[in-house]
Amino acid sequence: MSVSTPGAFTALYKLVLKHQLTKGRAFLFVAVAAVAIGISFLARQGIDDARDKIEASAFFADTFGLGLVAPVISLVLGSAALGNWRDDETMVYVWLRPVSRWVIGLAATLGALTVALPVTVIPMTIGSFIGTNGDMSMVRATATAMALATLAYTAMFVLVGLLIRRALVWGLVYVFIWEFFIARGAEGAARLSVNSYAKAVLARAADVEIGFTNHSTAASFLVPLGIAAVAVGLTAWRLKEANVA
Amino acid sequence: MSDLPPPSPEPTSGQPPSAPPPMSPVGTPPPPSASSARVGPQPPGPLVVPDGATVVVDGVSKSFGALVAVSEVSFTVGPGVTALLGPNGAGKSTLLRVLCGLTPPSRGTVWVAGGNPRTSEEARANIGIVPQQDGVFERDTIFDFVHLAAVLSGVPDPSEASMRALAAVEMDPNLDRPIGAFSKGMRQRAKIAAALVHSPTVMVLDEPLNGLDPKQRRQMIDLFHQLGEAGVTVLVSSHVLDEVERFGSNVLVIAKGRIAAKGDFRAIRGLMNDQPLRYRIECTNPRRVGAVLLDSAMVNGCTVNDSGDLEVTTNDAVAFRTNIAQICVSQEVRLTGLTPLDDDLESVFRYLVGPS
Repeated sequence: MSVSTPGAFTALYKLVLKHQLTKGRAFLFVAVAAVAIGISFLARQGIDDARDKIEASAFFADTFGLGLVAPVISLVLGSAALGNWRDDETMVYVWLRPVSRWVIGLAATLGALTVALPVTVIPMTIGSFIGTNGDMSMVRATATAMALATLAYTAMFVLVGLLIRRALVWGLVYVFIWEFFIARGAEGAARLSVNSYAKAVLARAADVEIGFTNHSTAASFLVPLGIAAVAVGLTAWRLKEANVA
Repeated sequence: MSDLPPPSPEPTSGQPPSAPPPMSPVGTPPPPSASSARVGPQPPGPLVVPDGATVVVDGVSKSFGALVAVSEVSFTVGPGVTALLGPNGAGKSTLLRVLCGLTPPSRGTVWVAGGNPRTSEEARANIGIVPQQDGVFERDTIFDFVHLAAVLSGVPDPSEASMRALAAVEMDPNLDRPIGAFSKGMRQRAKIAAALVHSPTVMVLDEPLNGLDPKQRRQMIDLFHQLGEAGVTVLVSSHVLDEVERFGSNVLVIAKGRIAAKGDFRAIRGLMNDQPLRYRIECTNPRRVGAVLLDSAMVNGCTVNDSGDLEVTTNDAVAFRTNIAQICVSQEVRLTGLTPLDDDLESVFRYLVGPS
């Protein structure tokens, strides 16, 4: 008996999606959006110069958007996508079906991304629009950088959620210790940081210095995409090797 | 209960290496004869797939660090209902997880319905499982839960199959509350429906009657028997002796991670020659018969019970059964009944795993 991949993928994608949105998370997402838009609006009040507005917007997108919103929202949603099934022991109902492991990994990642992308990209993009008085190159750069970071982080955290218990705690440690402090303080560490590649897109568009961002345009796009692809592959491998309760 | 999903065809591929010439099906529920039962752990050896067997477990051990949960277990099972019996902590759930491929064995080989379920999609497609844990996709409706199982198993018409599976467990497919809002018994029946929705050839049910009321238990036991009679291999675990007796006489007894016995439990009892057997003799003069039996050294002891019947214990059941009628005739005593008192599962279990 062979299961049609599109059919299984669709069913799993819908399942992940259904279990991603809870009331608590919805509240968190609305709060994040309100804060992002609110700060962007307030920040522009004391700045008259257009160039200064762009720099301020880039700084805000880097610290709040790429440093906090993208990794934390991705962590909450990504680690839950398969991690919840493992923790509440429902994984067996998916694992013991004749479905390719990569289909499960991809459906989980795309399911988490479907919720994460609007939550991270839309408020920060609106914030950028407000903060720069509609500078479209900054708006596009903010949206692209947030999308790239969210893609890479979400795929990574889907894997982490499958690998370790209390992924949320360990993920926060990673986000704040490594990504937010260490990788922003040392060039070598920045090369091993998701954040720096997405930030490079932002820095180029704004033509500002925001930390270690001397990655090529190709690297800025390919590294986050590569991280996501490798993470999905490792998730599939891990599912194959998993001990299922 | 009559609309059971039809069993899938027999597996046709995924034969393990060095498959031997066909043997008689060990797993088909055997008649209650001594030859159908084997006592004690079986030695590991090359994987043998008897003709008609759907589950072959060969020399399987499973350890978690220093803890040996399952040790050198070998057995084969075929169509019909087989009960896996053992006390809590005996290794039943671990063995069933290994059997379904949910965790790899530390040693040994598992072959289920066409292959190794850990690596073979075809083998997994032929398995239906009711895990012991209570977790279900809480936000799904019961229909969604069963439907998902059907879709992920590649059932051609998942909605139709889901309706039939829910009908088989006597559940209304139109219940629109999330499954998490239902009682444990309802969730348990939904799990059973999800396990049978794709018409598996092997169903692995880990304590499936937990949380069911007596009426639901009877219905589910009937369902398992129907599935068994339809050619499905139903392997059902329980630590409740009364339940297991109702599943049928074909048992695998597991204790301390080892298979203590397998086959028909009455036949297992018959093979336990080192354990004294008890009989009740109904006759017109129990004291006279008791005296003769004691003189003949055919019995170890005898008592007359409150009903006036003679109860004896013997280490030589064959000689006792052969001679008792003749002894009664010689004593001019009318023999009206001879009943084995240790022929129930509880006695077998007590002897095999010790007092509970």
